[in-house]
Amino acid sequence: MLAFSSASADGASSTGELVPFSSEARATAVFPLHHGLKPPISRLSISWARGNSLRVSFFRKPSGDDSDGDEFGGKVLEVRLSGGDGDMSDAQFRRIAYGSVSPFALLQSRRNSAVSLSKISSPYHVEWWEYVMEYSKDINSLLSDPKSLTSPAIEDPKAVLQKAEEPICLKAAWDVMEIFYADKQSQSWLPERLVDWLAAYNGLLSSTQATIHSQLISFQKELVTLQVKMLRLHGSYQLDQIGNRETENGLVEAVAVLISKMPRLRPELQAGTLGECHRAKPDFIKAWEKWRAHITKLDCSAYWVRCDHDQTRKGLRNMLQIMLGNTNSLCTATCHWMELYIAHFLYIRPFTVGLESMYSLARKCMQLKPMTISHRLIQLLLGIIGDNTEVVLAECSRAFGPWMVAHAIELLASGSDQAETLLREEHYNLGGISIEELHRLVYAQVLSSDALTWQIAPIYLTSCIKQGMGLLEILLSKQPVQDVQILLKVIEICRLYELDSVSSNIMKIAGVYHWKHGRKGSGVFWLQQARDEVRLNRIAQQLFDFVGQSISDESFKQWEGLIELLGSESKTAGGLEFLHKYRDFKKSLKQVNDGKTTDAAQQAVESLISLMKNPSTPQQFWLPILYDSLKLLSCQERPLLNVSETNLLLNKLQELSMAKLRPDFIEADLPPQALGSVRLALATNLGRAIVEE
Amino acid sequence: MAKSLVTLEKGTVCSAWNYCGQRLATGSGDGTLAVFDSQDPASSSSFTRTSKSRLHEDGIVKVVWVPSEYGDAVACICTEGNVSLWEEVKEDAQPLQWKLCKSFKSNSAKVLDIQFGISLRSLKMVAAYSDGHVKVYELLDCLELKNWQLQAEFQNVIESVFTFSKALCLSASISWNPQGGESQESSFVLGFNSDTPLLNSSKVWEFDPAHQRWLPVAELALPGDKGDQVYTVAWAPNIGRPYEVIAVATHKGISIWHLGLDPDLDGRLSVEKVALLSSHKGEVWQMEWDMSGMTLATTGSDGVVRLWQSNLNGAWMEKAAFEPTS
Repeated sequence: MLAFSSASADGASSTGELVPFSSEARATAVFPLHHGLKPPISRLSISWARGNSLRVSFFRKPSGDDSDGDEFGGKVLEVRLSGGDGDMSDAQFRRIAYGSVSPFALLQSRRNSAVSLSKISSPYHVEWWEYVMEYSKDINSLLSDPKSLTSPAIEDPKAVLQKAEEPICLKAAWDVMEIFYADKQSQSWLPERLVDWLAAYNGLLSSTQATIHSQLISFQKELVTLQVKMLRLHGSYQLDQIGNRETENGLVEAVAVLISKMPRLRPELQAGTLGECHRAKPDFIKAWEKWRAHITKLDCSAYWVRCDHDQTRKGLRNMLQIMLGNTNSLCTATCHWMELYIAHFLYIRPFTVGLESMYSLARKCMQLKPMTISHRLIQLLLGIIGDNTEVVLAECSRAFGPWMVAHAIELLASGSDQAETLLREEHYNLGGISIEELHRLVYAQVLSSDALTWQIAPIYLTSCIKQGMGLLEILLSKQPVQDVQILLKVIEICRLYELDSVSSNIMKIAGVYHWKHGRKGSGVFWLQQARDEVRLNRIAQQLFDFVGQSISDESFKQWEGLIELLGSESKTAGGLEFLHKYRDFKKSLKQVNDGKTTDAAQQAVESLISLMKNPSTPQQFWLPILYDSLKLLSCQERPLLNVSETNLLLNKLQELSMAKLRPDFIEADLPPQALGSVRLALATNLGRAIVEE
Repeated sequence: MAKSLVTLEKGTVCSAWNYCGQRLATGSGDGTLAVFDSQDPASSSSFTRTSKSRLHEDGIVKVVWVPSEYGDAVACICTEGNVSLWEEVKEDAQPLQWKLCKSFKSNSAKVLDIQFGISLRSLKMVAAYSDGHVKVYELLDCLELKNWQLQAEFQNVIESVFTFSKALCLSASISWNPQGGESQESSFVLGFNSDTPLLNSSKVWEFDPAHQRWLPVAELALPGDKGDQVYTVAWAPNIGRPYEVIAVATHKGISIWHLGLDPDLDGRLSVEKVALLSSHKGEVWQMEWDMSGMTLATTGSDGVVRLWQSNLNGAWMEKAAFEPTS
């Protein structure tokens, strides 16, 4: 299954996303395919390559004359259909893909052992949340890694900016999901976590507009320097001691101090940030009320009248209003609804808990301060606050791609019982798999599209209990096994996951490939590994063709080599035993021919007898063998065969003559006087042997 | 988004990729077979032509790769309707070259489509002819592609009582179940585009070893559509679903069928039509399933490549369309 990017569709009518849940019909995304050929195109042809790559062949109709000139007859294009993160470079994607394998695998193995220990399908205890959090942190650190963030080759400065944005966006999305789903410990100060999140990623959300945050940052900086100056002038400082001469400065200071003492419901603050932390609610409430009292006191103080500078007075009073939680002031001051939303948590209702109230608040803020273009992170956040798992998944898929969905599902599933049920429920329409499994399959298919990442797909596929192995088998069967490295890799994976039939098939393909390309030894080797008896038998049969023929030394060597290879393991028993003996016999015959010692002759005779005695020697080869050994039989110095041996051979000849009368007898391809010569030689031998004895 | 892999010569009319997508065989109108190889198996870039041979006078209309367990070989259907099998071998001292292994000549009818399948350890070739006949050939020798035996001949009808001698078929489409192999019988689906309605509808054929013949175990057409001409069929790979998915294209559109796995008492399999997709204007030429069997790519005479998927509710929709531009 695929997820599509709409970014590369120039002028597409609408976003082209894969939303596996939506029942609404969405307009199809249309993409152009530039083939660069002069029309007319007479035919198209399509074929899937690895994973999600689609190859399209275009054929031009050749015009009868030469008006085509140098035009090609056709072209083949490859289209990679990948996920929503179309803006990330291949290298970045690979880095993230490789880095997420261990955390994923670790979590799966923990789940498996937890399931087997506790025997329930959902291990819902504290330890499990810790594992999920650890997983989340691992992925988070992977996304924060500077190497993930920067692209190595800088060609186009704008492109670098764009490419750098993508992994940061992924990290932002991961962060927000971690906050809401995985981080169980920080649930009580969730709003503050959201403040931090917005602080970190505000740049992404509204890249063009100035934001209150940036203004706040600069103001904070100003305040700090001001504070230092004032302290130097006044020494110790008390709220009540504001001198007349420097009312304005005094007021600024007062507000600054108030800001710096703002109570925050969170365990700790980053260095350099203003505010005071309170962990427990009762402490916080006390401090909050005290703080508010101070603000009100300052607001009502008489010093405002004496402040000369109009702008300062207005600005400071506005700030006080903000701190008092005046909705209008907040609305005017903030730039988009997210900021207003966060401002609510800080200034109006710091005790907001529960997704429902958060959601209704968000909707209210959106009405008050609508955003013209909604960033995908905002969409995601809305889905999360809205407690709608389907929307969250759809947004992840559309905006962040298959990698995100496949990995974030673990976070979503640990968020709530309902989410877990939804994600792990089996769907008939998908062929019986769950949404969780579906997205892992989708992601695995994305990994399979690249020669550099297909090897990590098995880890995801084997975690899919229903259809993972089926897809893995197909993935492995489609690897090009002519390359030894890839072949060995495939075999290793098959062994790891006990996919014997796939392994044997792949080895068979390799064996046949080598055999047909003249590398007979390799061919036999791989066919033996594959235990392909049928083909090995066939090869053995081919070797029989050599028997009784005079062949060149080189061919004999090859033939001999093949017999060796086939030898010990092959179960084409009887036949090969014969070939082994025949090989020995031929070798010793050769030694005799080379004129070596009489020992060789004796050996040859022994081989001959052994061969003729052996029941596995096919009858059709008796005469050829005997004809081959004519030289032995008609040895000049002395008879090499004794009486019984000669008699044996003569008997065989007799049998042969009888067999000739049968209809299915195969006539050996020998000169007509062969039989006669052999008989004569044997008879002579017999005579001499009897004399010797 | 799209990368150019290969440029083809003038007169090329058909192409086919091998099982792993590393080799491309193309056939042209003058009978030339050209093969392109990737130099680097790790990436699918840099394809160069490694061979070009003029096989015969007759133009090639379709090229089909033989399953790689049997070697690097292709079958070519030529314009006169004959089929020839060519294999790339290196014999003894000779260089690597494409050699003719077998020529299937038929006097009367033209071959419209052929597809290879592996069933119970033997290689089978199904050929559909222009007279409405279907022949299944079996390879006798697993190491050589020379010896073939005609295993069966029949017509694409449910009731074998009907035989049509004068059928005129324009095209046919065969698709084997991708799953088949060593330990089991494989089946294929076959449909015709002809003037004889009973021959047209797509039927699933399975071999019955007890009676040594091929039997139709399912018909993929609704009662009112049985006479519709079938342009093309495609059987999806099954990665673990409890049913098979087959796509059938007729002039009414592309139907997606679910085929049950367990036969009933008559040996028939249950069928259910789950979708009718009708965006293509004109004839559908080709349909291909991706490796997971979840996405269908189609192309037709309107020149557009479309991608289809099913959602959670089982509704099939067009997900993307690719329009060629120069």
